[in-house]
Amino acid sequence: MAPVIPRSGDAAFANVERVNAELFTLTYGAIVRQLLTDLEEVEEVNKQLDQMGYNIGVRLIDEFLAKSNISRCVDFKETAEVIAKVGFKMFLGVTATVTNWDAEGTSCSLVLSENPLVGFVELPDTCHGLYYCNILCGVIRGALEMVSMKTEVTWVRDMLHGDDAYEMRVKLIKQVPEEYPYKDDE
Amino acid sequence: MVEVSLSAFAFLFSELVQYNQTQVDNIAELERRLEDAGYAVGARVLELFCHREKGNRRETRLLGILSFVHTTVWKVLFGKVADSLEKGTEHEDEYMISEKELLVNRFISIPKDMGTFNCGAFVAGIVRGVLDNAGFPSVVTAHFVPMEGQQRPRTTILIKFADEVSHMMSLLNIY
Amino acid sequence: MATVYNLFIINKSGGLIFYKDYGSAERMDTNDSLRLASLWHSMHAISQQLSPTIGCFGIELLQADNFDLHCFQSLTGTKFFVVCEPGAQHMEGLLKVIYELYTDFVLKNPFYEMEMPIRCELFDLHLSQAVQKERVFILGR
Repeated sequence: MAPVIPRSGDAAFANVERVNAELFTLTYGAIVRQLLTDLEEVEEVNKQLDQMGYNIGVRLIDEFLAKSNISRCVDFKETAEVIAKVGFKMFLGVTATVTNWDAEGTSCSLVLSENPLVGFVELPDTCHGLYYCNILCGVIRGALEMVSMKTEVTWVRDMLHGDDAYEMRVKLIKQVPEEYPYKDDE
Repeated sequence: MVEVSLSAFAFLFSELVQYNQTQVDNIAELERRLEDAGYAVGARVLELFCHREKGNRRETRLLGILSFVHTTVWKVLFGKVADSLEKGTEHEDEYMISEKELLVNRFISIPKDMGTFNCGAFVAGIVRGVLDNAGFPSVVTAHFVPMEGQQRPRTTILIKFADEVSHMMSLLNIY
Repeated sequence: MATVYNLFIINKSGGLIFYKDYGSAERMDTNDSLRLASLWHSMHAISQQLSPTIGCFGIELLQADNFDLHCFQSLTGTKFFVVCEPGAQHMEGLLKVIYELYTDFVLKNPFYEMEMPIRCELFDLHLSQAVQKERVFILGR
């Protein structure tokens, strides 16, 4: 029998050690500030934030698997639900809603209820075009890549840009089958 | 209080260190950049705190601001009061905040070839950010200090106030 | 008393990234441990192919006359395995603890490079405690 997938990360979040979100928010703010100084171009900062998220994602996935008691998801739909309900909860203490599935079931939106990255932030005019929370897209992309799912993750709505919600679009590009380490002719 | 998992912070902090490693040629520069990142956090913490506690007079005494860092700032950021706050034994104008295990160092092992490098440089930056913006410019550094009977060294944040601060304090005789 | 002889961690390409001896009768030299790791990586993969059941993820336990080998493979492809005294209990639990320690003290360490050999003092420290605890636990039964 397949193991039961937890429907929420409440238990996982309750069981892990937690810190004041302000430490997290302010540290993230310091990172974005450093990137703006180092890279100057907002577009470059977006890229670097995504890259940093990716680097985190490829590491964080193991912690997620080790501490959430989640095992294999049957399909991308289930994966999206698990990210939204368990993943976000376990790490950030918030949940997301999965909506706007396309007909093929390969792309959907994650809408965040709350966003702990953005406390105390107002984007100055000079940062027009900055996806302040781009790191989250990278984290999801990196984490999924480690479990054989190539994805594209982008922001659709961003409250820092005046939208009414934080919405990410997650698109499954290709599901890489688990590899047998040797080719037949080796 | 809104919380996130310690893991989320630890991964973010680890990435902060990794990114900064790509931007430097040596360990001293890495320390300086982590300290700069921390400074921004410290400045914001002071601002937020003053904003929340409106009406409270601003701390003007040296010991007052130090205890604010050791108690309030530590509690807000790290969920606990720092293990100790001591006056330096060798110099009048030095103070030390020590922690058996700094939160930012919880999961970090320093490679042997990095010598005495301590990621607590970030926390030293936070302390300097608070002090500087409260009108007490200082030099703040993080050091590993071996402890007798302990497997792991503790971290001491060494605060050396700028000459002008010591001078002012000695004039006012309000240490 | 149940004894853990040694612990191996293999990255997803079959490279040995961690090896620790906890008192096996004969110490393995580096070459032997590398060879054994890559051999196990292949055998594990072959076992998935050979398995008559669908959805087999490879050997979890190999029993021999004078040792047991317990293996855990994470969904990300990293393999953790312990070689221990025949019939030693709770090795699955120990492997789970080791996996968690790996996510804490290896993956959250900014000086660890992914897929590379693990040299993290704190990981070693917590690992010996975990293995030790396993022994104490079994002694106390």
